[in-house]
Amino acid sequence: MNIDARWIKVWRDLWSNKTRSLLVVLSIAVGVGAVGMIYNASQLIQRDLYGQFRQGNPAHVYLYLSPFPKEVANVVRGMREIRDAQVRRVVRAEIGKSGGGFVNLNLHVLPSTSEVEVGRFFVEQGAFPPKVREILLERQSARLLGYRIGDSVPIKLADGREYSLRFSGIVHDLNEIPFAILGDATAYVSVDTLRWMGELPAYNRLELVLELQGERVSKETALEAAEEVKKRVLEPSGFRLYSVRVPGVGSEPGDHWAHNQIRGFILILQIMSVMATLLSGGLIVNTISSILVQQTKQIGILRAIGASRKQIVSMYLLCVLIFAAAGLALAIPLGWAGSWWLASFAARFLNFDLTQVSLSFEVILIQAGIAILMPLGVAIFPILRGARISVYEAIYQHGLSRGRVSRLEQLLSRIRLADPPLLLSIRNTFRRKARLVFTLSTLTLAGAMFIASFSTHSSLVAQIHDAERYVAFDARLPLPQGTSKIAAEREALRVEGVSYAEGWAISEGVIVRSDSSESQGIEIVGLPANSKTIRPKLVSGRWLSGDPNSRQVVVNEDLLVEEPEIRVGEPLRVKVGNRTHTFVVVGVVSKHIFGPRIYMDYTSLSRLTGRQNEVDEIRVLAEEGKLSSVTVQDSLAEKLEERFRNAGISRANAITRSHFLGEFAGVFNIILLILLIMAGLLAIVGGLGLSGALGINIMERMREIGVLRAVGAANRALVKIILAESLVVSLVSWVMGAITSAVSSPVLAAVVVYAVLETQMNFRYSVVGLFLWFGVILMIGALSSLLPARRAASLQVREVLEYE
Amino acid sequence: MLGGLAQSNACACASESSLISLNGVSKIYHTDAGRFVALDNVNLQIQRGEFVAIVGKSGSGKTTLINLITGIDRPTKGEVCVDQVAVHRLKESEKALWRGVTIGVVFQFFQLLPTLTVIENVMLPMCLCNLYSGSERLERAYQLLRLVQMEHQAHKLPSFLSGGEQQRVAIARALANDPPIVATDEPTGNLDSRTAASIMELFEDLVRNGKTLLMVTHDPDLAARAQRTIALADGRIIQA
Repeated sequence: MNIDARWIKVWRDLWSNKTRSLLVVLSIAVGVGAVGMIYNASQLIQRDLYGQFRQGNPAHVYLYLSPFPKEVANVVRGMREIRDAQVRRVVRAEIGKSGGGFVNLNLHVLPSTSEVEVGRFFVEQGAFPPKVREILLERQSARLLGYRIGDSVPIKLADGREYSLRFSGIVHDLNEIPFAILGDATAYVSVDTLRWMGELPAYNRLELVLELQGERVSKETALEAAEEVKKRVLEPSGFRLYSVRVPGVGSEPGDHWAHNQIRGFILILQIMSVMATLLSGGLIVNTISSILVQQTKQIGILRAIGASRKQIVSMYLLCVLIFAAAGLALAIPLGWAGSWWLASFAARFLNFDLTQVSLSFEVILIQAGIAILMPLGVAIFPILRGARISVYEAIYQHGLSRGRVSRLEQLLSRIRLADPPLLLSIRNTFRRKARLVFTLSTLTLAGAMFIASFSTHSSLVAQIHDAERYVAFDARLPLPQGTSKIAAEREALRVEGVSYAEGWAISEGVIVRSDSSESQGIEIVGLPANSKTIRPKLVSGRWLSGDPNSRQVVVNEDLLVEEPEIRVGEPLRVKVGNRTHTFVVVGVVSKHIFGPRIYMDYTSLSRLTGRQNEVDEIRVLAEEGKLSSVTVQDSLAEKLEERFRNAGISRANAITRSHFLGEFAGVFNIILLILLIMAGLLAIVGGLGLSGALGINIMERMREIGVLRAVGAANRALVKIILAESLVVSLVSWVMGAITSAVSSPVLAAVVVYAVLETQMNFRYSVVGLFLWFGVILMIGALSSLLPARRAASLQVREVLEYE
Repeated sequence: MLGGLAQSNACACASESSLISLNGVSKIYHTDAGRFVALDNVNLQIQRGEFVAIVGKSGSGKTTLINLITGIDRPTKGEVCVDQVAVHRLKESEKALWRGVTIGVVFQFFQLLPTLTVIENVMLPMCLCNLYSGSERLERAYQLLRLVQMEHQAHKLPSFLSGGEQQRVAIARALANDPPIVATDEPTGNLDSRTAASIMELFEDLVRNGKTLLMVTHDPDLAARAQRTIALADGRIIQA
């Protein structure tokens, strides 16, 4: 085979420096692999999660009504705007865990006779509808609660009645927020079982699928359709509409409940993966530049024997192409494996099935585009510059001292230290400024993202802490049947260790807007104005005055996101059931995370609901004005439960403050983990870049290493000099990363928080992240210097002194 | 540590009186062009305090000879003993340390480290071999610079110095650890004749002060200033 000698030279040059070539290839592979991982995982998630979700014919809107018969659905189905309607009863109850203790349960009851048409689920084991006294569990609930088919499952209704049902089958339901996320279990029983449990065979939720006009159904259309149903069917039939809700967490009608969060999260990961690829560009520029510097004489010889500039450029472009192709060849399987991991992780977390871990042609195309265009794009400049050199310059001038020293070098020469080897490291660091800039920017960005990931987590946690103001109790006990305020508070104060108790009335209502349209359902709290289990942080206006006749309300910022027209000092029409009262908004309190809320005086709410002197929840403190330890909270909760059970008031489970907040923290840790993995990929690219730059530095300074050897540098001294140089770069990048993180952290935190919680939040910078990165960057610095230092130590003095 | 090196690598071949002793030393390079004998069965003794010029034509083996003595290269056959240490047995890292205290090397192209100032270049070998305390190092470096009349340039970077000045600094650096031997390969090859003369005077001063000086040169006038001349041809000593 007759191969052009030029191409043989290109190949030999690459092969003769395998370590350097490998670093470049790995760096491209990591960046492009990350792009493939994110894009492919995003496609897999969209295909499987959204595909399986759509197959279930998800509802566009839920209507929560007073008990109604299933026939209502038939009438609603006849309406022009409605494609499908279905009735469902969702009973709030509790379910026993196999290992003891109870957790919240949403018990779904669907008509036994008809097929489930809206929000379909898939029966994985057993049959639907279950027989009388049997229960089907959602698969994640079944797994996490620790039940096996045939087990007996204890169910506790809100009024405290307990039943034991046989676990007869497993259901996979994508419409419900998974147990792992919300901590609420999901189960299904038949109407007959409901009847057997002494409940009326009636329903409380009407689920609607609207006729599509265009591609999607907007929130407005969904709420309008619900309004039509109310006017034309519900009101004439005498059913009361409590609230209207679009399913999901801020999702659009028909979308998966976490659609916005997933989209936001994938976007962030995509940005980070593209960033990793761009950073690997730094290493390519460094490597190509150093090859060119090293081969200047050869370029001169090539030109002297007749090579045109174009030919020389094409030789080095081919070299870059080989790097790119090898990087791509590695990146494709890496990206595929990564996407498998990420999609499997998402599947476990979001409770969907990953059907097939395919790799789409589109993703390969994106990877190939980036893998080839990016290196060529960044390397073309040093190549063009290198090929411009004249024969004379290349052969006779190259390698001669510049005679001039840069201002920075002069400045650095003024540093006085007693340790010349250390000075050597410091000054060497700044010799190749362009190379240093690329290496530093890679590490700086990695650091900025690392710190930003931690700051995002800190901000999320800070948001929880902020929300703690609204759960400033030691324990809270729901009173599902409603109880006399005086009786409940008196009973709570009799519990040993309780020094303060207050009853809250809680209701659900809607806001009637100026155009008479109604909002989605909103939680309304009636509490004593001088409540001690809430420490409101006022964003504007003031807190409730305590005058029961003043008709004041305070809303939270979460409500302002949904109803931006609300203003302090302006009237607000609130409707509960059939009653509408007008209040004045006197203040806005900070975000709660757990949703929109309206606070009003206990008496005002009683008037609005017509339930005089009743409370729905009792909140207690062991010591007034102080929050107790987790142990005290747990013990209070236990005693509170027992007292109210014995008194026949409530058989519900008490919730402690720490338990309530702990559930949020778990989800946020997963977010931190994924962000850190991406920041880690950036750090790997940065580390490869640093190692590559050090390697190149050493190659360029072989003669100096020879001199060092000649004047007495043993292996340890050489390793120390190179390690110190690496650490100097790492430290400088840490400082720059810290500065950059002041910008990157609030941006990432805001984007993630908006994606996850659909809200803006208070930013909190993570000092822990800053110092953790300090440790990580020192480790990266140390590891990156290993290979170059070993190489330097293995050099023979004679070889390096002869080196050119 | 160096004492340990000397003990474990003590030279059996060396005669008691010789500082440098080469016994049956050959150096053969295997290149793509074939086998090349750079030194062929060389036997040589150099006494303490001698000023020895190594001369010969290009390719005669003079640089190879000095490289073997300084431990920069390794013999294919035979023994190289310097100051009772079998240099050929030392590992690369051990050789660096040993060289740092035993032989000061002066190169043709000065080879000062460009990012270190003059004084820092002189202090470097003391730091690398961990000799002298911090303040002593500085004091000694100044003293050496005074010796080579370069103390006024102490805080300049090498690129601000002329060739002759750089070579003076290189000599000061070679003397940093007060080694008994100074080895130099064409030390004036890159200098004008006036500067070369002043460097030679410096070398003569060193010898007067008890140093052993090995100098590779192809300049007969310079060689004539040495006490002893070793002439090489085709890898063999033809005059010792």
